Amino acid sequence: MDVVYFIELAVNGALVGLMYALVALGIVLVFKSSGVANLAQGALAMVGAYVVWWLGSATGAPLWAVIPLGVIAMFFFGRGLERVALRRMVGQPVIMIIMLTLGLEILLRGLAPALWGTLLKRMDIGISQQPLFLGDILVNRAYLVGGAVALVLIALSLLFFNSRQGVVLRAVSDDQIAAWAVGIRVERAISLSWGFAGIAATAAGVLWGSVQGIDWTLSLLLIKALAVAILGGLDSIAGVLVAGIAVGVLESVIPGYVDPLVGGGTRDVVASAVILLTILVRPFGLFGREQIERI
Amino acid sequence: MFYRLAGVRHTSYAADRALWPVPVDRWQIRALLALAVGAPFLLPDLYLTSYLLPWLVWSTAALGLNLLMGWAGQIHLGYAAVMAIGAYGAIHAVRLGIPFELALLGSGLLSAAIGLVFGFAALRVKGLYLAISTLAMQYLVDWIISHVPAISGGSQATLQAPAFRFLGVPVAGDWSRYYVALAVCVLVTSFLLNVGRTSFGRALAAVREKDFAAAVIGVNAFYFKLMAFWCSSFLGGVSGAVLAFCYYRAVTPEQFNLDVSIQAVAMVIVGGMGSVIGSYLGAALVLLAPIVLNNLVGAFARAAALPLHQEVLSHIPLILYGVLIVGFLLFEPLGLAKVYANIRNYFLVWPFRHARH
Amino acid sequence: MKKVLATLTFLAAGLAAASPGAAQDKTIKVGTALDFTAVYTFLTAEYSQGQRDYIALLNARGGIKGHPVDIMVVDTGNQPQRGIEAYERFKSEGAVLVDFLSTPVSRAVVPRALNDGINVLTMFHGRSDAADGTVFPTIFPASPSYWAQATAIIKYIEEQEKGNLKDKKIALVLIDSPFGREPIPVFEELSKRLGYKFSAFPYPSPGNEQSATWTQVRRERPDWTIIWGAGGGQPVSVREAIRNGIPIDRLASVIWLSETDMNIVGASQTKGALRFEGVAYGKDVPLIAAIEKEVIAKGKGAGPAERVGSTYYNIGVATMAVFAEGARLALEKEGGPLTPAKLKRGLESIKDYTADGLLPPLTITSEDHQGGGRGRIAAWDGAKWVPKTDWIAAHQDIVWNLIRQESAKFKNSGN
Repeated sequence: MDVVYFIELAVNGALVGLMYALVALGIVLVFKSSGVANLAQGALAMVGAYVVWWLGSATGAPLWAVIPLGVIAMFFFGRGLERVALRRMVGQPVIMIIMLTLGLEILLRGLAPALWGTLLKRMDIGISQQPLFLGDILVNRAYLVGGAVALVLIALSLLFFNSRQGVVLRAVSDDQIAAWAVGIRVERAISLSWGFAGIAATAAGVLWGSVQGIDWTLSLLLIKALAVAILGGLDSIAGVLVAGIAVGVLESVIPGYVDPLVGGGTRDVVASAVILLTILVRPFGLFGREQIERI
Repeated sequence: MFYRLAGVRHTSYAADRALWPVPVDRWQIRALLALAVGAPFLLPDLYLTSYLLPWLVWSTAALGLNLLMGWAGQIHLGYAAVMAIGAYGAIHAVRLGIPFELALLGSGLLSAAIGLVFGFAALRVKGLYLAISTLAMQYLVDWIISHVPAISGGSQATLQAPAFRFLGVPVAGDWSRYYVALAVCVLVTSFLLNVGRTSFGRALAAVREKDFAAAVIGVNAFYFKLMAFWCSSFLGGVSGAVLAFCYYRAVTPEQFNLDVSIQAVAMVIVGGMGSVIGSYLGAALVLLAPIVLNNLVGAFARAAALPLHQEVLSHIPLILYGVLIVGFLLFEPLGLAKVYANIRNYFLVWPFRHARH
Repeated sequence: MKKVLATLTFLAAGLAAASPGAAQDKTIKVGTALDFTAVYTFLTAEYSQGQRDYIALLNARGGIKGHPVDIMVVDTGNQPQRGIEAYERFKSEGAVLVDFLSTPVSRAVVPRALNDGINVLTMFHGRSDAADGTVFPTIFPASPSYWAQATAIIKYIEEQEKGNLKDKKIALVLIDSPFGREPIPVFEELSKRLGYKFSAFPYPSPGNEQSATWTQVRRERPDWTIIWGAGGGQPVSVREAIRNGIPIDRLASVIWLSETDMNIVGASQTKGALRFEGVAYGKDVPLIAAIEKEVIAKGKGAGPAERVGSTYYNIGVATMAVFAEGARLALEKEGGPLTPAKLKRGLESIKDYTADGLLPPLTITSEDHQGGGRGRIAAWDGAKWVPKTDWIAAHQDIVWNLIRQESAKFKNSGN
């Protein structure tokens, strides 16, 4: 067992995991407030990346100016989705709502390339590609930046839940009807959480777009994000952080040792296995509220 | 007028419990069956092989999934994986020299056995968590199929469907393939039509409405949930096998990926949960809409000489497909079956609309 | 009620609009059902534009021996069922040749096409074993298969190492899919023959995250690294290679590496990267220049003019050029109207065809549908691809062994 090898895999895995956590953050925010599993979050990240790219290439403005604009646009886009589609579905069975978000995903996946073209787009956020060695360990600079941004955003959302507006959101997530009864505008709170999901999606889209380029495949981040969200507990923001790191490390370390043995990319299976095992052993996740209805 | 109810009297319990108590419905079914049997003589080959045949097979599959989703109220986002197991099972069995009929049953049983594993997740959790765990299983099955050469067929990852005989008749041309698919489809449809009238079907409905309540009245919810997964996976496996033998004539892993699972769920939801006719309508819409829209958009763009690039044009059907799903969920959550029921109700009293009230 | 009626009329109109028209007099019909919306999006737009522009050039010059060509384009979204529908429609429209540019769709259609005798052009995709014309009489890869590409890359490495590959380490970083795994037997066979040490490192599809894989590659310290992927995974591979300190001029790729990918990573940082090339790159090729003059300049181009001459555009042009050459030979020898069977014989009589320098000399016979398996290695110089070798073909015995072995399997599967 080679320690340096292990540490390098683990460190880079943890950073990638944080970037997955950024996508998962959107899922958790929405689930926390409204109990809706947002399977369109991957597509939302794709749209966020496209929007930022488009603002940049249409106006020629520098990136630091474009990203805030994109974030604002996506904030309202998220809220718009909630207002137009999700709000009408209140009270429908779970499967209908899941299907609706899947339908939205298909819709966005068609819309974005139709508007902005199918060829891979470049998103350069100015991260050098030279190798960065910390001791003997090679750290991926892009992931380092991505992980840091993810950390900051997750910390911000944790802080936010301690503010007045955050307490309102917590109340809504505890009990919608009781929140209603004490005069909280539940719809507004849910809408706000979708707006935040849009912001998280933009950040995730830009970071992942800078790593892989922008095209529709960004929406495939969904399955990893789901694994993170499930493992952490669908309604726990702290859970996203821990689970993101855990999924990232597992995903990085397991293939590192198993792949040479079985001669296949086992990486994809890790996310699925994490989901299955979590649901079978501890469905509410590491930090989620133990409220799963079972039979 | 058409749906004349006056004078239709049921003089025995059997008549009262008939599947179609209204004569017009019976005539419709007969006419549809006759049309289905005569289709090869009536339709050009293009429509027979690339519209009608896949529609029948996908309707069979949608019926199987509808048993689980509509009748038993469970969610399944990994149905394509179940179909894949059936397709691969049947092809390998026939290649080993097992007769097609047995292979078909065997593939169903194999899918049912593995489908039960999906079902065990349903024992632990439900709703959203069930959806996500079936989604994860879809990925696992996909991965196993494409990574085990013994299953997927080596480096080209394609298995040709061998020549086969059905009930002693060699199945070779488009027509005979069509009739095999039709036979399976009719069989499955009649099972589904009758399932609601059996104790099994009623138990499923009880579990769907509230599993605690079902347990209170003596329905073993565990057992019936598992049975629902078993039956539905069996049907999925059989329809997967028919799809592979009669339509694709070869299997590749891509034929059964996650998108296909989503399509199957969309068929059930757009069609209408728990409705037989809905499964047919849903399959037609989800399967054929992208194709028809594609041709339509192409023809329209050509005719109007739209200054749009092919890239944009070809995304329009995808967008419309998404709009279709979202639109149905928002505006007609009960699906096409409800639309059909509305039309039928309208004609039940037509032209004496006032009679309804 | 009204809504329902409206929907029904809409659908009926759709079917009617889509129904096959009457066969036209002399027009030659070609069907292309491509994947514009799913996995192959990274190249389809450019590829299809090249195809249509070349057909426009042909028609502007009076067609093939006076026969105008009609190219039908539809989207399949990489779904086999839509590909089959498109194929059946093309068949009823009287198409003599179809192209799917999608390995899954091609595979699904191959049995039908063999049955119906309609020619399928599978340049740079589809079954590699279809090069065996005796088993696949109407399937025309007409281009170096992935196996041939692997041998050509090794040949280049061999030359760079002065013919001695003993104890050199060659790493293959591949997308974990049948496409990615396809060349492994060739590399293994050649490692026995040439004595290099071969190791393969798969990353999961679609390859947007490969850092763990490249950590393993770096620790292997390969002398040469070959990347085998397509689409969004390719720029990620190149970027990770740079990050992990793999010398960029010792990084070679399968054919699917384009200037778009290099620009995404950064045009200047990727200077020196190598790729296999089956079709010449750029606008300097006479045929592409002719298209620019006679089609694009007259505003008849099928897409943005800046895409003319790009890698995938030129591949699209090449596909139609091969078809047109086959059709020309067929019409010359047997006269019109062109049928699929005549076109098949025409394609099989192509000899040393280069499409004005766009292609390596291509010779197709009734046994060999690969056409020689020639290609070349080109390097990225920061702005364009510069060929480093002539058109070469190497170790074709290994390639053909595999082709025969796999096609025999296909034959035995009792299709």
